Amino acid sequence: MAGVSTKEIKNRIRSMESTKQITKAMEMVAASKLRHAQAKIIESRPYFEIIYSVIQDIVRTNQDETLPYLTPRKGAAHRCAYVVIAGDRGLAGGYNSNILKLVTAQIKDKDAEILPIGKKAVDYFHAHNIPMIHEQYAQAETMGVGDCFTVAKELSRGFDEGRYDEVRLAYTTFVSVLSQRPDTMQLLPLNAEGEENAEKADILYEPGRREVFEKITPEYIGGVIYGALCESRASEQAARRTAMDTATQNADDMIADLSLKFNQARQAAITQEITEIVAGI
Amino acid sequence: MKSFPLKVVTPDGLAFDGEAEELVVRTTSGDLGIMAGHVNCVAPLGMGRAMVVTEGKKRYAACMGGILSVIAGEVRLVPTTFEWAENIDLARAEGAEARARKMLEDKNTSQIEIRMAEARLRRALVRENVASGVR
Repeated sequence: MAGVSTKEIKNRIRSMESTKQITKAMEMVAASKLRHAQAKIIESRPYFEIIYSVIQDIVRTNQDETLPYLTPRKGAAHRCAYVVIAGDRGLAGGYNSNILKLVTAQIKDKDAEILPIGKKAVDYFHAHNIPMIHEQYAQAETMGVGDCFTVAKELSRGFDEGRYDEVRLAYTTFVSVLSQRPDTMQLLPLNAEGEENAEKADILYEPGRREVFEKITPEYIGGVIYGALCESRASEQAARRTAMDTATQNADDMIADLSLKFNQARQAAITQEITEIVAGI
Repeated sequence: MKSFPLKVVTPDGLAFDGEAEELVVRTTSGDLGIMAGHVNCVAPLGMGRAMVVTEGKKRYAACMGGILSVIAGEVRLVPTTFEWAENIDLARAEGAEARARKMLEDKNTSQIEIRMAEARLRRALVRENVASGVR
């Protein structure tokens, strides 16, 4: 084992071990954060399920066709607004790059503006000179329900005033602990499927159907954004946990490999010494 | 007294799930009282005090934004924030009130900041009123 001294190998093993400790700690932190994030998803779900069912009821029993937020707009100047949810930090496997790649591919030949959420999204769109609405939400971790409602109101107003013809949301679906899928969905115009065969329930809308609809839609969108944010956070932690688990395993493999080399080198040195003594050099 | 099933759901989770005899909430068009056998009804919520009567006891809460839906006797209250009077952090609300008032008095505040401060002030006042038990 000439060339690599035992000391050098020993140093490498030591540095590998400290790396392993870091990745191991990160994995455990991510695992605990993941549990919280998963609980949040389950808690937030009923909220917008109920709001969505109310919206469906309104659309279904609607007689006048003038409800806002519903009509798809067609025309040459089709302006899109994208809400993109990514993470604040790296070292989460493909979590950030997957969602950002998906969005970049989708907006390639569109007139699109981005509302980034999370530091990594802000940095990415900055670096690629893609127009942003603003970058107030560079912290995905601390973003609360209130912020989601502010975003929803802002975008609904923009849609109402004709600044955007379409509003989409890009986030990462939490399929399972081992699998997360980047996805986009349309927020506005609303695609509520008005089922024809459903019975027409007599519902009293106070003060009026239109007013209720106008009030509820931004709240529904806020709820959807919040739900997507919860899903994305859980996905980020799951992706980080998996990435760090792999990194820890790789470190283990490398340590085993280096230990073998170290022992070989040590044995070679001993053998050489004995040979030298026996030969009487 | 006849009761009805009531569910209070916020984005942060389930705040109440059970039987209630009476519910009074502030909607955008004024206070609305619900008792068992109410007609099907949907109304957006304003900002204000909500009262729930369960097992003969009155409970108060600060309830803001969202909607109320009564369908087939099932009452679902879906506000953006819902805090029982006993859970309200009075000191925090008072701090928020003071900050908002200071913002409003400042001549240099922009139009957007004024609107946000007003909304904050209103939320703080609702919380304080509910927590201290006065209307």
